[in-house]
Amino acid sequence: MPAFPRNSSIATRLALGHGALLAALILVTSGVFYFGTVGVLDRSVDGKIVSISNRLLDTYQARPLGELVEEIDRELTDGIDSDTEIFLVTAPSGERVVGNLSQWPTQGLPTGRLLNREVIRDGRPSSARLIVRKLPKGGLLYVGRDLGEQRSIRALVWHALEVAAAVSLVLVVLGAWLFRHQLERRISGIRRTAHEIEAGNLDRRIAISGDDEFARLALDINRMLDRIEQLMNGVRQVSNAIAHDLRTPLGRVRARLDEALRRETTTAGLADAARTAIDGIDDLIVLFNKLLQIAKAESGMRAEALERVDLSRIVSDMGELYDAAAEERCVRLRVSGDDSVWTLGDHDLLASAVASLIDNAIKYAGPGSKVELTTHSGPQQVAIVVRDDGPGVPSEELPRLTQRFYRMDRARSQPGNGLGLAIVSAIATLHGGELQLLNAAPGLRASILLPRADAPQTERAAARVPAASG
Amino acid sequence: MKSLVIEDELETCRYICNGLKEAGHCVSHCDNGLDGLHRSLNESWDLIIVDRLLPGGVDGLSIVGKLRDLGKKTPVLIVSALTSTDERVRGLRQGGDDYISKPFAFAELLARVEALLRRADPAQVRTQLRIADLTLDLRTLQAVRGAVPIALQPRELRLLAYLMRNEGQVVTRTMLLEAVWDCHFDPQTNVIDVQISRLRTKVDKGFSPALIHTIRGVGYYLGERS
Repeated sequence: MPAFPRNSSIATRLALGHGALLAALILVTSGVFYFGTVGVLDRSVDGKIVSISNRLLDTYQARPLGELVEEIDRELTDGIDSDTEIFLVTAPSGERVVGNLSQWPTQGLPTGRLLNREVIRDGRPSSARLIVRKLPKGGLLYVGRDLGEQRSIRALVWHALEVAAAVSLVLVVLGAWLFRHQLERRISGIRRTAHEIEAGNLDRRIAISGDDEFARLALDINRMLDRIEQLMNGVRQVSNAIAHDLRTPLGRVRARLDEALRRETTTAGLADAARTAIDGIDDLIVLFNKLLQIAKAESGMRAEALERVDLSRIVSDMGELYDAAAEERCVRLRVSGDDSVWTLGDHDLLASAVASLIDNAIKYAGPGSKVELTTHSGPQQVAIVVRDDGPGVPSEELPRLTQRFYRMDRARSQPGNGLGLAIVSAIATLHGGELQLLNAAPGLRASILLPRADAPQTERAAARVPAASG
Repeated sequence: MKSLVIEDELETCRYICNGLKEAGHCVSHCDNGLDGLHRSLNESWDLIIVDRLLPGGVDGLSIVGKLRDLGKKTPVLIVSALTSTDERVRGLRQGGDDYISKPFAFAELLARVEALLRRADPAQVRTQLRIADLTLDLRTLQAVRGAVPIALQPRELRLLAYLMRNEGQVVTRTMLLEAVWDCHFDPQTNVIDVQISRLRTKVDKGFSPALIHTIRGVGYYLGERS
C-alpha cells in the first residue's frame, strides 16, 4: 500500500481537526458539569450556614442564653448532619459556653462573613466553612460546616472528569486513526488501479463497494476509463485497418504499375495500367475519407457548427436521390412519416448517415423487397427509421454491424468497405443520439434516434434549396 | 482565357497548369501568398484558382477576401485539402465561387472551371431551354421531345434543367449531387449513374439523336454531338 506522507495527508489533517474540536467540546462540557455539581453544592452549604446562624441569633435575641445553649445541644445531637455541623458559643471572656470545637480561631475574625478556617472539631483537625456572629450581650456565635465531605465530592468529580477526558482522548485518537485508515484504504484502492492502468493494464477498474462518495467517484472514474478504453480500441482498430485495408490496395496498385512498367510496351497497355491505378487510388481516397469522417465524428463537434435541420426534408431528399437506384434493383422505396421533424445538427453529416442506411437497405434487402423510410417526432426524441423486409441479419451479428471493417460473410460479395454503419453510429453519437439496429422479422430495422429541437420561427430550411441555375 | 493559379505545391501546380493549357487557357502561376495577392489584384484575370494554405504570410482566403473587398468579381475556385463542410462553407462565405477538395481529378476541376466561366457570362434569363428537338419550359415545367410530352418527377426536371443549362459542357457527378440534390458529400455509390440512366430512358429512348452522353470516369454532358 502506498504510504501517505504524514504532513501532507488530508486524512490526518481532517482527523486532527476533528479531534481538536471534540477535545474542546469535552472541555466545555466538563466545565459546565463541574460548576453545576461542586459549585451548587458550595452555594447550598453557604446558604445553610447563613440561615442557621440567622435563626439562632433571632432565637437568642428574644430568649435567655440557656435556650440558645439548649437549641445548639439539640442541633448537635439530633443526628441530622451532626458529623459535619460546627456550632460554638463563646462568652465575652472568650471561653466556650457550648459547642463542638475544642480549638478555634479568635484573632482577626470579621463578623457576619463566610470564612474558611482550620479548627479542631471533636478532637480532630478539620477545615471548616464558618460564619462568626456577635451576640448582643457580648460573646460570639460560630456556625459552620466541616468541608471534608465537600472536598471528597470535589475530588470525586475531578477524578470522574479526568477519567472521562482520558477515555474521550483515547476515543478521539482512535477515531482519527480509524478515519484516516478508512480514507487511505478507499483512496489507495483508486490509486492502485490508477498505477496499474499507468503500467498498461487498461482493462483494470476500481472495485466498487457501497454507495458513498468514494463509490460514486469510483463509478465516474470507471466510466471515464471505459470511454478512454473504447477510444483506444478505436485507434487500435483504425491502425489495424490502415495496416490491412489500406496496405492491401496500395500493394495492388503498386504491383500493377510495376508490372506494367516491366512488361507493357504499348501505349494502350500503359494507359490501361494507369487507369486501373487511378481507380485503385480513388478507392483508397474514399476509404481514407471515411476513416477521417469517423475520427472527426468521434472527436466531437464544435457547437457553432450545429444548426436546426429538418430530418423529414433530409429523408425525402435522400429518398429522391436513391429512388432510381431502388427502381433499378426492383426495390420499392417508400417515404412516409411526420413532417417537420427538427433536430440540432450538421445537415451534411445527417444526410450522409441517412444515405448510408438507404444504400445498405437497397443493397442487402434484395430484389422484390420493400424499403420504408419514416420520420417520427416524439416529445423528447426524433427518429429516422429505415426498414426493409429482406433477409435481415442474425441477432448475434447485430451488435457487430457497427464495428469498423466488420462485414458479414454475405456482404463480402457486395462492394463496400465495412465502414458504413460505423460511420452512421459515430454520426448519431456525435449528435447526442444513437443508432439502433433491430431484427424486424423479416428484414432489418435501422433507426437513428436524436434529441428533438423546436422548429425554427421562420422556415429557414427554404434557404437550403439551391438555385438550379447553371 | 487568362487564368492565375496560386499554389505552392509544385506537383499539383504543374498538374493544374498543364491541364488548363491543354484546355486552351493562358496560365500564370505564383507559389506563395504574397505574390498571389499582388498579381491577383494588379492584373486582370478571367479566373483565379487558389490554394487555401500558402506560404508567404497570406493565405488563400485572405486573397479572396481582399479581391471581394475591392469589388473585383473575378471568378475564384478554391482548392484545398481542408475538406470538412464548415471549411467549405467558410471558403464560399469569404467570396469563393466554388470549392474543390484535394485530391481531385483534373476533369472535375476543369468541369467546375468551365461552369464558373459560364456563370460569369451575363446571365440570360430564359424561360425555355431548347436543344435539338428537346424543349423544357421552366414556367410550366413541361418537357417535350419532338411532339411527345415526357413525364418527369420534380427532381428529374431539376436534373434535366441543369444538364440543359450546361449544354455541351461536361458536368461531374459531384456537381450534379450539389446542384440537384443539395448533397455535399459523396454517397460513393452509383446513385447518380442510375438517375442519369433513368432520365436517359425517358429522354432518349426511341428518339434520335441521343442527347445524354457519358464521359467515362468524369461525368456527363447533354448535347447533339456524340
